[in-house]
Amino acid sequence: MAEKILEVKDLVVEFRTDRGTITAVNGVNFEVFKGQTLGIVGESGSGKSVTALSIMRLIPNPPGRVAGGEILYRGQNVLDIPLDEMRSIRGNKIAMIFQEPMTSLNPVFTVGNQIEEVLELHQKELSKQQRTEKAIEMLKLVGIPSPEKRVHEYPHQLSGGMRQRVMIAMSLACEPDILIADEPTTALDVTIQAQILELMKKLQTEMGMGIIMITHDLGVVAETCDDVAVMYCGQIVEQSDVKTLFGHPRHPYTKGLIESIPSFDSTTGGAKGRLPTIEGMVPSLFDLPSGCNFQNRCAHVTEKCRGPHGEPKLEPVSKGQMVRCFHPLS
Amino acid sequence: MSLTSYVLRRLFYVIPVILGVCFLIFIIFSVVSPDPTISMLGKHATKAQVLELREALGLNKPLYIQYFDIVKSAFTFDFGRSWSTKQEIFEMIKQGAIPSMTITFPAFFLSVLLSVSISLFVAFYRGTFLDKGVVFVCVALMSISSLVYILVGQWFFAFKLGLFEISGYEEGFPDVVPYVLLPIIIIIILSVGPDVRFYRTVMLDEIYQDYVRTARSKGLSERKIMFKHVLKNAMVSIITYVVLRIPFLILGSLLIESFFGIPGLGGMTLKAVNSSDFPVIKAMAVLSGIATILFNVITDVLYVVVDPRVKLN
Ligand SMILES: Nc1ncnc2c1ncn2[C@@H]1O[C@H](COP(=O)(O)OP(=O)(O)OP(=O)(O)O)[C@@H](O)[C@H]1O
Ligand SMILES: [Mg+2]
Repeated sequence: MAEKILEVKDLVVEFRTDRGTITAVNGVNFEVFKGQTLGIVGESGSGKSVTALSIMRLIPNPPGRVAGGEILYRGQNVLDIPLDEMRSIRGNKIAMIFQEPMTSLNPVFTVGNQIEEVLELHQKELSKQQRTEKAIEMLKLVGIPSPEKRVHEYPHQLSGGMRQRVMIAMSLACEPDILIADEPTTALDVTIQAQILELMKKLQTEMGMGIIMITHDLGVVAETCDDVAVMYCGQIVEQSDVKTLFGHPRHPYTKGLIESIPSFDSTTGGAKGRLPTIEGMVPSLFDLPSGCNFQNRCAHVTEKCRGPHGEPKLEPVSKGQMVRCFHPLS
Repeated sequence: MSLTSYVLRRLFYVIPVILGVCFLIFIIFSVVSPDPTISMLGKHATKAQVLELREALGLNKPLYIQYFDIVKSAFTFDFGRSWSTKQEIFEMIKQGAIPSMTITFPAFFLSVLLSVSISLFVAFYRGTFLDKGVVFVCVALMSISSLVYILVGQWFFAFKLGLFEISGYEEGFPDVVPYVLLPIIIIIILSVGPDVRFYRTVMLDEIYQDYVRTARSKGLSERKIMFKHVLKNAMVSIITYVVLRIPFLILGSLLIESFFGIPGLGGMTLKAVNSSDFPVIKAMAVLSGIATILFNVITDVLYVVVDPRVKLN
């Protein structure tokens, strides 16, 4: 069994808005192991980014706040430690790549400067010269051609794919224990997407970090992850290793997601040749139904799902597989 | 393209703009404005007197010559003589510029420094009581008329407490201080309100950008983020705002100079307007036009230095 480096326990994150308080993340639990990748999947608004930002303690406050739970990094709850100490973890032990490669770099500093900055912060023993060398080395590592030239360039001189590579180079510069990749490839076109994922997998083998791969694309999960958590309305609805999830999904939502992968050979539902998508709308976080959050979109809904017995709990259905459903698929 | 050739090219393009500004001034003074000799001679003047004065002042010259004279003055700074004092106008401007700049330059630098620091500070504490307090004070400062500051300053701080001279001017370094201190303070108070509000908005626009979140995720402290990442991005807007105000500093502050009896360019212009001293007004118009154009060029050059996204063409 690989070493456990991160454990998220009962995480609850709230946002206070003009229309009332919403619970964007509601009782999430997961673990990240050294050298392994945990995927978090879910539709837009399911709370993936908020979960990731909580681990970095970057939830904007106000309006947001972590209302409960623990985030244990190597056994220590990072929600409790002083901000100074948290800063020595950010970028150093836990690093993050963001969803928006085009705007995540500072436009008025060279990419070299921005990579060197993180080294200056966490690897004080390096000289200026060594930092520059390391920055070039990192750019080379992430496959940027002529890195000696590129270090002196500004973000606007690079394409989206190149910028995301710079972000990866920056996040890996201090060889973190955990890399949180929040939809690292969503904004990029398909060929670049494959290259970036390939690159991350390669670097993971070399450096042995644990990765949290956030995506709404199950194709990405299938390619990169060891374990998966499927999120819906701020909760995990199904959690297991990747093989089990694809081979034997137990939650109707997971099954729907898998069937809507374009290349997936679907055997059920939908007119011939049409891509099955999950019908219906994600309920608003301001107005969640009682009972199961997925009831309005579920083909197997029963009276029980509509609330008289409260909401379903995330419960084990087989070894290593948990499902939040009153009627798990067989 | 190198920065030098960019600057040279920009300066070259300044020439047609100056010709245009001169043309505007020409239209205003030589074509559409009423005959200044009437107000100079009074309403009982005879036709002959008017004609004689027009001839003497060069108002009968062909129009193209009058335009050419303005253009020439823009490049040679030879503005001729004042109609009322008969002095060489360039000399008058040189004399007036020193008292004006003694007041406006310190006031300008101190107010920029103060306003940028305050706005960095309140942007750091955004949304807190402190931030709201500062914004409130800014609005309060802005809603009081400048005359109140001048009169309270002169009556209370200068007259009652004797901290400053009430008005007047003296040349030479330590002697000048008691005369200019109060005007400088008043200009700073007048500009701090709008400036802080402007800079604060600029900083807050930057603080919510994605690159700031990235900087945080690297483990940088809030202070480093403000002073390095946010400030450099905010510089672009700050520069425009700051540099384009410099021409007006050179021209002095009409109101302050006349209330404090400072013999500066502001006062000089005001006097010229009152006595229809066209050559002086024209000279000031030409100079302020040129200054504005040149500082526009300076702003553009500074953009190139500060913002790598600005291309040199
Ligand atoms: N700063 C904020 N203020 C108010 N609500 C917020 C804020 N950030 C997130 N939320 C809310 O939290 C919920 C979860 O958002 P989150 O960004 O985690 O979604 P996501 O799963 O990452 O979606 P996407 O796939 O679009 O990135 C959303 O309903 C969103 O409206
Ligand atoms: Mg997101």
